[in-house]
Amino acid sequence: MRYENRQAPEGINVTKVNPLVQFLKFFIASIIVVVLIVVILQVAGGAIAKRIPFKYELQLMDTVDPQLGTTGASREMIAYLNDLAFRVGRELPVDEGISVKVHYSTEEVFNAFATIGGNLLFYRGLLNEMPHENALAMVMAHEIAHVNHRDPVASLGGGVASLIAMSMFTGMSGLAGDFFNKTYSFTGMQFTRRMEETADEAALGAVNALYGHVNGAGVLFEVMGEIKGDSEAIPDWLERFAVTHPLSNDRVSAVRILAAKNGWSSEGETTPLPADFLLWLNRD
Amino acid sequence: MIEIILFLVFMSCGFIFGQLAEKRHFKSIVEREQQLNSLPVVASRYPPEDTAYHQQLVSGSVVVASDYFKSFTAGLINIFGGVVTPFESLLDRGRREAILRMKAEAGKLNAELVFNVKLETTRIATGRAGAIEVLAYGTAMLPVDAGRANAINSSSANDLSAIDSAPVASGSVPRR
Repeated sequence: MRYENRQAPEGINVTKVNPLVQFLKFFIASIIVVVLIVVILQVAGGAIAKRIPFKYELQLMDTVDPQLGTTGASREMIAYLNDLAFRVGRELPVDEGISVKVHYSTEEVFNAFATIGGNLLFYRGLLNEMPHENALAMVMAHEIAHVNHRDPVASLGGGVASLIAMSMFTGMSGLAGDFFNKTYSFTGMQFTRRMEETADEAALGAVNALYGHVNGAGVLFEVMGEIKGDSEAIPDWLERFAVTHPLSNDRVSAVRILAAKNGWSSEGETTPLPADFLLWLNRD
Repeated sequence: MIEIILFLVFMSCGFIFGQLAEKRHFKSIVEREQQLNSLPVVASRYPPEDTAYHQQLVSGSVVVASDYFKSFTAGLINIFGGVVTPFESLLDRGRREAILRMKAEAGKLNAELVFNVKLETTRIATGRAGAIEVLAYGTAMLPVDAGRANAINSSSANDLSAIDSAPVASGSVPRR
């Protein structure tokens, strides 16, 4: 018996496609899918979460009881911050039943944030850079506006919903999973940035109502730009897309534009911080 | 920004070097297939019964790695389904290379045929890196004279090889 192997025609086991065209087709399609998933879940998750009554946020925080702020931090500072929150809060259209509580951390972090249950945390690193009360009131009003807009719970609801969906999506996409996670983060950032812009606008109105002008309110963003530094190595359009907050320069301009639009005066005397502010600040 | 640049660099390198390596590999495969075409490789379990042969296990294996571009594109295709074309050529290369290596071993033993050829494929890379091992093995049929000479030379050199002492002759092939 004779056996022979005939040469099979070349390429019969490989589908003929242009790899670049195929890549681009799937790449664009998957970006669209990820963006759609994140947008839908962020909007839906956020909207549903906002319907949760604020009292449940308070109950949740009571149950979880997270350590916010530094134990034994200056009582005077905490009292002052809460007093400022009260004064600023009166000038904001805060919904009924919503309350805020300010905590103070002695960590040298240039930040302040609002979280579930109306809890605000201010870091010494940020307070140390405040030149006057107007700038601090702007931050305070901004964070209270977040609470009033229910942004923390909306971020949590939308974030958790899209995170679960994305973990399923990226789990089956191998090497491309990392890329989808980035797409998810960037898409999510568009939502937080919008929240920031809305909070800025509300905060500026409150500062104007409290002091009769908005002079000094934009200082916060100027300081922020100096400290955090809007990167010069990255084009502005890209940085705008890839950060959670609007660029500091954009926020300074927005303050000017908003003031002009609403007829708020940009000139006026700034209110100094309490005389013992530095003393409280440097007390551990 | 740095992540975007790194991503583009990896994708470009994967695409350019991956395509070059693949083309080079396919060219080499085609050339060697022509050279070794005179040695038939058969999947049948039943060897010819008209000639006396010694039998010897021969095998060839290869590990082929995917490139970043292929793995990434395959990940995208996994979302939507369909033919994972980036891996088709990878597996084709692996299978053909493993058979060629097996044939080369059989050729060294002066085998006339390789029977009962089987292929096994295993994913061996850990994490997200993609690499496969393809193993081809079969029974080399050595003419009695060639088998005797090779038995002395190679039975101690290759643990996987085992030569039957009794030649397979017509009518003595066990059938299942």
